[in-house]
Amino acid sequence: MHSNANGMLSTAAAAASSANTAVQSPGLKTYFKTPEGRYKLHYEKTHPSGLLHYAHGKTVTQVSLAHLKDKPAPSTPTAPSSSFSSSSGVRSAAARLLGGSNGSRALSFVGGNGGSKINGGNSRIGSLGSSSSSNSMGSSNFDGKGSYLVFNVGDAIFISDLNSQDKDPIKSIHFSNSNPVCHAFDQDAKDGHDLIIGLISGDVYSVSLRQQLQDVGKKLVGAQHYNKDGSVNNSRCTSIAWVPGGDGTFVVAHADGNLYVYEKGKDGANDSSFPFVKDPMQFSIAHARYSKSNPLARWHICQGSINSIAFSTDGAYLATVGRDGYLRVFDYYKEQLVCGGKSYYGALLCCAWSMDGKYILTGGEDDLVQVWSMEDRKVVAWGEGHNSWVSGVFFDSYWSSPNSEGTGETVMYRFGSVGQDTQLLLWDLEMDEIVVPLRRPPGGSPTYSTGSQSAHWDSACPVGNLQPAPSTRDVPKISPVVAHRVHTEPLSGLIFTQESVLTVCREGHIKIWMRPGVGESQSNNSETLSSASFKEKPLFSSKVGSSSYKL
Amino acid sequence: MGAAGSKLEKALGDQFPEGERYFGLENFGNTCYCNSVLQALYFCVPFREQLLDYFANNKSIGDVEENLLTCLADLFSQISSQKKKTGVIAPKRFVQRLKKQNELFRSYMHQDAHEFLNFLLNELVDILEKEAQAVKSDPETSSPSDKIANGPKNAQANGALKEPLVTWVHKNFQGILTNETRCLRCETVTARDETFFDLSLDIEQNSSITSCLKNFSSTETLNAEDKFFCDKCCSLQEAQKRMKIKKPPHILVIHLKRFKYIEQLGRYKKLSYRVVFPLELKLSNTMEDADSEYSLFAVVVHVGSGPNHGHYTFFGSAQEYSSNTDHGYILFYECLGSTSNKS
Repeated sequence: MHSNANGMLSTAAAAASSANTAVQSPGLKTYFKTPEGRYKLHYEKTHPSGLLHYAHGKTVTQVSLAHLKDKPAPSTPTAPSSSFSSSSGVRSAAARLLGGSNGSRALSFVGGNGGSKINGGNSRIGSLGSSSSSNSMGSSNFDGKGSYLVFNVGDAIFISDLNSQDKDPIKSIHFSNSNPVCHAFDQDAKDGHDLIIGLISGDVYSVSLRQQLQDVGKKLVGAQHYNKDGSVNNSRCTSIAWVPGGDGTFVVAHADGNLYVYEKGKDGANDSSFPFVKDPMQFSIAHARYSKSNPLARWHICQGSINSIAFSTDGAYLATVGRDGYLRVFDYYKEQLVCGGKSYYGALLCCAWSMDGKYILTGGEDDLVQVWSMEDRKVVAWGEGHNSWVSGVFFDSYWSSPNSEGTGETVMYRFGSVGQDTQLLLWDLEMDEIVVPLRRPPGGSPTYSTGSQSAHWDSACPVGNLQPAPSTRDVPKISPVVAHRVHTEPLSGLIFTQESVLTVCREGHIKIWMRPGVGESQSNNSETLSSASFKEKPLFSSKVGSSSYKL
Repeated sequence: MGAAGSKLEKALGDQFPEGERYFGLENFGNTCYCNSVLQALYFCVPFREQLLDYFANNKSIGDVEENLLTCLADLFSQISSQKKKTGVIAPKRFVQRLKKQNELFRSYMHQDAHEFLNFLLNELVDILEKEAQAVKSDPETSSPSDKIANGPKNAQANGALKEPLVTWVHKNFQGILTNETRCLRCETVTARDETFFDLSLDIEQNSSITSCLKNFSSTETLNAEDKFFCDKCCSLQEAQKRMKIKKPPHILVIHLKRFKYIEQLGRYKKLSYRVVFPLELKLSNTMEDADSEYSLFAVVVHVGSGPNHGHYTFFGSAQEYSSNTDHGYILFYECLGSTSNKS
């Protein structure tokens, strides 16, 4: 297309016109079309790759979205006031002056989630020139609200400001002993710690995200350490989640098929030993012998690794997927296996709930996206379209079906998936088409009560019944609405926000794709958008709250 | 992997398979292509057992002329009769025999592991067929023959019917493909069955074996330079062609076409694409309308830049597989059984 000279020019032009800061990789388009319009690559987030240490082995990047609210009251002991008299404030000011200590480029809070509303949403302004970074110095002390991306690369956790166009993270935290592999943020955390991090070594930390942002060091500050040096379990952490509405309880899944329930802030003494797992093939639960113990319980779920876990929005159900290819759904409070089923073949790698708790998506080594129905207790659709393993799935809870206001008969869901084939796929699921001709429930005909789902499910088939792999003929196939190659490296995850879709690749590069219509008219307005997304409870981190679906 | 023997033993601990032997094969000058394949074949349990059976039955016959089959059998029985669980063995006799047999493998040039596997399996089949023929022409020594080539077709004493002999090599590795070609003019479908010992798959960057298999059996249009001669139309016509797996083999050997001939360069170039392979796989069987379920047991890996450089190694455990997706070259899956699609 371009001659070499032109190519250089256009690179320079791209750097100067920073409206879209995306660096265009060859062959990768910066937009994709959907029935509702164009999604455009808005900006990218990455990390200073030169600083990475792979001493503990390469890890796959995961990303968590974190919304910090306005700081409740100045009396909170964990965060210093914005005044410079506080020692912490001085240190953070020094950090800003020292700038580049964090990486190859200067620390910059341009267009970020500054404490003041004036600075809050100026991504457009900030992007006009990188030199303007000095203007906003001192404006941000992370007391206010803001949206951040937390992602792990190598031995570090990076934190980027979602609303800034700056590519580089605003904070890095290095772990000397092991690599972080999974993390989760609880936006409803009542006090203090809202970010949990799991490591390859099995160690787990909980911290306050705001406190990390306010600190200038490269280490975790004010952290609570669980499973220290793998004392309870030394296999790698694979997935971590806050229990929605669980008042500070969280669960950590490990590569040896065990899952532990912790209570944040509770110092686990040395008395958290659990009996030997008698039958590794069987699901079993062991509770700690002492009330002061942390972890409180061990769930032995399967042989081989648990690869991913997800709570239903109301926190009642926990879904796990693993090396053995099974999706398992547990009643979290009853501590019972409710239902589940096997992949077509190979391990399952990821899972996600629909906001209404009716469907679970899974993706795995058979290149398929499976849709599991809680009502039917079986796979109701296979999404065929990936050319490699499916590494991330999510429902788009912000998407509203074009015909949902009408008769209300057709319920449509939009979901997305990413794979090691570097593709992002978007899918529409129309339940009338999919489910009705297939309804062959295992135990009698279910009634379609809209009441308590759990009571209904429990009577439909015996508890703990796992379905074998379905045969190709029995499962309807669906095709993606959109298939878009977004990176050059295999993808590892995706997140839907009110205004965008975020994709992340294994090497820790994040792309933010603005929804149709959002990019142009409202880009000056990200403050309102980000506060709107608060009310809507973003899918990724919201664990409590009612469904946003009209059914 | 031989050098790491004791380490391996320690690592496997209680999980060390009962009666299993993990032996490295000594490399004497560019024989790693051969060693890695021999390792994989050794870990192919049905093949190994049948070869050892053959060896046990043929010992009594005694003075059989040395050939690749006897050398291989001898090597496998050496490994399996080791007292130690791990160690190193020098497959000297086998390699000498191989070099004697085929000048291709004689030089110190680097050889292709896939070519070697192909050569070896075909050579074994030839030897078994010759033996069976010799037995047929001499009905006196019929008792051991059933064991040499225990295919059902062999039971016919008079070789009047020219049925192809089904040896235990066939039983392990042979599958049947149907090559379907539909002439776009007369719509006639020409179906031709082909047997195979392995599937050679084209690969793409950041893909999976599942996807490569899908592409392998996807419909291809023959047109322009590459038209199809239709017997009915008696002329070259545009046509659609596809390969279907009619009968999946018991041992599925998948060869990834990592060496691509680049015309401009006049040589082969290695495609270091990342191709992921699951530990379990399903193949649909068009004849019985069933899925055959497979489990991965060995991988031959090629590390290096080209066909004449680099190194072959062999992996036999799940942990090692996952980190070798950029270099996996030959994959060995064993059938666990099949599940019917009829419901």
